Amino acid sequence: MTIRFHRLSQSREDRAGMSRRMFLMTTTLAGITTGTLLGRASLAQGAGLGEAESARLLRMVQDIYPHPDLLQIAHYQAIVDAVVSNADDDAFAALQDGLARIEAKAQELFGVPYTDIEDPDAREGLLRHFQNEGFFQNVRWTAYFGIYNNKEIWPLFGYEGSSVEYGGYINRGFSDITFVPPGPTLEERLAEVQK
Amino acid sequence: MAKFDLNDDSVAVIIGSGAGGGTLANELAQRGIKSVVLEAGKRFGLEDIENDEWAMFQKISWLDKRYSGGGWHGAVNHPTLPTWIVKGYGGSTIHWAGVALRFKDFEFKTRTTYGAIDGANVEDWPIDLEEMIPWYEKAELKMGVTGKTTGMPHLPWNNGFRVLAEGCRRTGRSDYRSGPMAINSVERDGRPACQQIGFCMQGCAIGAKWSTMYTELPRAEETGNCEVRTEAMVLKVEHDDAGKVNAVVYADKDGNQHRQKARIVCVAGNSIESPRLLLNSASSMFPDGLANSSGQVGKNYMNHTTGGVYAVMPEKVHMYRGTSVAGIVGDEVYHDPKRGFSGGYYLEFLSLGLPFMAAFLEPGNTGWGRSVARALEGYDRMSGVWVLGEDLAQERNAITLHPTEKDQYGLPVPIVSKTPHNNDYEMTAHMYETSAEIYEAVGATDVYELPAYPATHNMGTNRMHADPDKGVVNAYGQAHDIANLFVSDGSQFTSSAACNPTLTIVALAIRQAEYIAQEMNARNI
Repeated sequence: MTIRFHRLSQSREDRAGMSRRMFLMTTTLAGITTGTLLGRASLAQGAGLGEAESARLLRMVQDIYPHPDLLQIAHYQAIVDAVVSNADDDAFAALQDGLARIEAKAQELFGVPYTDIEDPDAREGLLRHFQNEGFFQNVRWTAYFGIYNNKEIWPLFGYEGSSVEYGGYINRGFSDITFVPPGPTLEERLAEVQK
Repeated sequence: MAKFDLNDDSVAVIIGSGAGGGTLANELAQRGIKSVVLEAGKRFGLEDIENDEWAMFQKISWLDKRYSGGGWHGAVNHPTLPTWIVKGYGGSTIHWAGVALRFKDFEFKTRTTYGAIDGANVEDWPIDLEEMIPWYEKAELKMGVTGKTTGMPHLPWNNGFRVLAEGCRRTGRSDYRSGPMAINSVERDGRPACQQIGFCMQGCAIGAKWSTMYTELPRAEETGNCEVRTEAMVLKVEHDDAGKVNAVVYADKDGNQHRQKARIVCVAGNSIESPRLLLNSASSMFPDGLANSSGQVGKNYMNHTTGGVYAVMPEKVHMYRGTSVAGIVGDEVYHDPKRGFSGGYYLEFLSLGLPFMAAFLEPGNTGWGRSVARALEGYDRMSGVWVLGEDLAQERNAITLHPTEKDQYGLPVPIVSKTPHNNDYEMTAHMYETSAEIYEAVGATDVYELPAYPATHNMGTNRMHADPDKGVVNAYGQAHDIANLFVSDGSQFTSSAACNPTLTIVALAIRQAEYIAQEMNARNI
């Protein structure tokens, strides 16, 4: 057999990484209801979140997967934008309501706005109150796909993604570490399987 | 490829095209026995394989509606994804990682070895290792398993397994190696040698890993004795007045129903669909479902006692480079009640890509925040294992039918219930401790314990037993109640053993094919 390596083309949608498809996959994994996850064309053209709401949502996605030394604000802003543009009317209303309740809880517990809480553990503890709610998990899974399934971000975590188009790792470091001994040689591996 | 008429009642109808059904189809075809394979999923080829975890999950997984039940964490965290198996031409042999281990002798004799266990339904198989060795050898030659049977060397060790192996060496272990794997380490049987691509469980893009998708199924079709119909979801197995099965009803991709006549019917739809089909085929003669006079159809669902362990090392590992399961540790596969549990377990090096690591490190609603993010920043320094061990049969672990909810075919939705036995909790604790000890011996700075993934190893729901009151099928997978009805997949397992089930499924299918040919020639079926 001739080995033919193929370079698989990515559709624009795949590259966006935060398509509707990801929600369908997520719902399978996590059992979220799908009703609220379809596109929201009307909103994309018009009204979005207010300034304070946007700031809260940006803080929220950073607190959900905080990588301050690895990611830029722009990475998180892209997730905020995806959360808003993916939300239908019901999901958008739930998001606004959720953000308002996070703010109210911040005032109740700490007496300051959520975005002004300096201790990251305190902010995380605040968000834990909301983690079983649909609006929260929608934001969380959008952040998940926007970060950990995002081919542009993978190199920052040391993940290289697809390898078949490069001929795999057979000649590209599949066994290149030096802090443990090498594995057995081909001769040793052949000797092991003699009858 | 042959085309058989719907009214041709001389054919064997095989339901499913994975390790069991695909192997059986080819074995029968090579013997000149005609068959129609009905596969619920689409026809896939190598060109459909991508190195992308989510894209392939979406493309090939069995995503029809199902519910998780019972006391395992997935009933909460994976409520509609109890299992992780494939719907497509080749079945779950597209997704399997290639581990091709044999059962140990004591694992065929679990009731004799372990004794009666409270809350469990443990029994002996009607066959043993001595009986199975020649069939294991045939399976290893067919699949191309590295090791003594083929003489093919085990695969070279990748970074992630080298870390695990060194930990094993430093903790005094001796049984750790990079095989047996049904992955070519050299070019063999028209398939190339492994290129250490990774993504084995997303389908091998070059066909170095054995899968019925590009071995058994096309070879069966080439004989002219086998017709594979894809997107053909079987709804019901029918029988005649004498209680012999004689036809199956299936829906095509447009939902149109067809009725294929059959001389024999072989059910190989994996351990959820196979019992579900038998239960859905209930009739006035068989009110509890076909082949169910024992009441054991759908019961004794086993999927291995499992967990994951990922350790962060002081230096880069890049564990995703190379085969996904790059090595196997067998030192813990023995039965010693002093350990506090029955049966043994393997540690298998398993790499996950960043997307799946981030999804499964802490599944469910709580898997976010500083601790998760910090762990994932160590991704490129991780090595890890999937631990899997004997899962005791329990009657309460079962496939049942939803009382009201129907799927897209109008069939009751299956509920897959799994509640761990105390044996599982004891074993899991031991697995985690062993894994941590091994990795700490190589300098691990953090060790993360992951709960069970949605199961790929599904077994036991139409089990073999010598006694027709205690099992569904005999030692050849033939239904005790209906002589021309066979079970040809992992649902016929009496015990789970510690090892991955595929090699045993293939060995049993080869053995079953010979038995079917013999019984057909003798006009017994």
